[in-house]
Amino acid sequence: MSIRRHERAWRPALRQERLRPLLLPTAFAPPLLLTWQALVVIFGYPKVILPAPSDIFVALRDNSAMIWQQTVPTVRDTLAGFALAALFGVGLASLLSFSRLLRDAIYPLIVVIQLVPKIAWTPLFIVWVGIGWPSRLTIAAFIGFFPIFIAMMAGLESTDRSLVRLCRGLIATPWRTFWLVRLPASTPYLFAGLKIAITLAVIGVIVAEFISSSEGLGFLILQSAALLRTDIILAAITVLCLVGLVCYGAVHAGELAVRKWHGE
Amino acid sequence: MSIPAAALRVVRPVVASPGGVAAAGADYVVVDRVRKVYNEGSRQQVEAVAPSSFAIKAGEFVALLGPSGCGKSTLLMMIAGLDAPSQGTIGVAGHALTQPRAETGIMFQDPTLLPWKSALDNVLFPFLAAKRAVGPADGPTRARAATLLDQVGLGGFHHHKPRQLSGGMRQRVAICRALVYEPDLLLMDEPFSALDAITRDEMNLVLMKMWEEHHRTALFVTHSIREAVYLADRVLVMSRRPGRIIEDIRIPFARPRGLEIGETVEFNEICGHLRGKIQHTPQ
Repeated sequence: MSIRRHERAWRPALRQERLRPLLLPTAFAPPLLLTWQALVVIFGYPKVILPAPSDIFVALRDNSAMIWQQTVPTVRDTLAGFALAALFGVGLASLLSFSRLLRDAIYPLIVVIQLVPKIAWTPLFIVWVGIGWPSRLTIAAFIGFFPIFIAMMAGLESTDRSLVRLCRGLIATPWRTFWLVRLPASTPYLFAGLKIAITLAVIGVIVAEFISSSEGLGFLILQSAALLRTDIILAAITVLCLVGLVCYGAVHAGELAVRKWHGE
Repeated sequence: MSIPAAALRVVRPVVASPGGVAAAGADYVVVDRVRKVYNEGSRQQVEAVAPSSFAIKAGEFVALLGPSGCGKSTLLMMIAGLDAPSQGTIGVAGHALTQPRAETGIMFQDPTLLPWKSALDNVLFPFLAAKRAVGPADGPTRARAATLLDQVGLGGFHHHKPRQLSGGMRQRVAICRALVYEPDLLLMDEPFSALDAITRDEMNLVLMKMWEEHHRTALFVTHSIREAVYLADRVLVMSRRPGRIIEDIRIPFARPRGLEIGETVEFNEICGHLRGKIQHTPQ
């Protein structure tokens, strides 16, 4: 027994070890889809209740132009909302890092607002900025703002104090200390917030599309539900899944780049 | 507790030193009845540094030796201008100190390198952090930074990031960073206390070599008696909290010093004397 364990330790590390987190789920997905397909075929569920994977594929293929047309506004509003959230989140956190007074006055309030489910604000935004893309963008930005702001605050506050002291010793101005040390030092934290924000931004846009919209994947899902086109709903969800995956992947790639830059 | 400054400034050589060393230069750093109290006026009031006075002559290497928590680092931070004294004044190069000076080089307990910058860029950081006569892109400045790294034995590591370097190597980068802008005063706060004994000996040699080459007025805070005696021209001993200067002795060894002086009887006698002082501190 102990000899075998020894052999294992000596075996050269397989290349697959690194790809394992990717390979394993990819290998497990086809059997899962096959089981789904088999269950639908064997038990003869109606397509309206539970379409088989093949039905979803057909729906995706036959309606590709229409689905693509609805994907564009959803992606556009998500990315724009995310960008706004990042701008305001990083901006406000940076501003508060310069003034203890402002920080102590504003930060607790934001944390309190943060405790309310953000989705609950959606109808209010529609009243304020109207239906259409401005409200969707605002909601995505609003939802994405909090994780970015809070991560950025944490990043700025956890900046190694000895680095800040070093800057004081080198007679750096507060602005230069911020720009050269505090901001770059907080980027790993920032990315933790950005990863949450990008997924929340998609949720925000879809919910806004549910409530008031004439375009987007959320609108398509709602409309297909009214028409009992379950296959198109699942096709739209498949596309949403891919959109989310690509967005998250992009942020994750950014994070890896930053970590590499930090010498990790 | 107010001891006249003059009384404390007396140098009491334990081991007879050949005369003339004391007259090397004028007082460069003058610490005059400096006291530091934290949380003044509250219940948690702590006197970190009792009124202390001493002077460092230009070109002198002084070690400030004391037990942990005696306030020696606080004193150094005040001389760096990073902390304000509660009472008393500090003068550096003839000016009263009110804020950090551009011409002081500081080494902290940790290397405090920017993790995202290469060794070379970390050495050049002082030119980026504040406006100096030249910027970090200046050719001769870059060449000087590179030479410093070569001198401390980091020739092949200019473009390595701190995480790729060992603890000793990081502290070597910090030495270069403190010297690159040619400061007139070098302040070091237990820079090698986090290193293992072997690396520490190595770093002492590196520091000695760099100091002999660049010869700045230096103050080195440490809790290691041997380190203090090995490095310094003069050792000041601080008592337990609240710290005050209780001994001021001259170290007679000629320079350049090798690590082997640590084996001599004289060296160990001085260490023994200092140990006695630290252990028998009146509270």
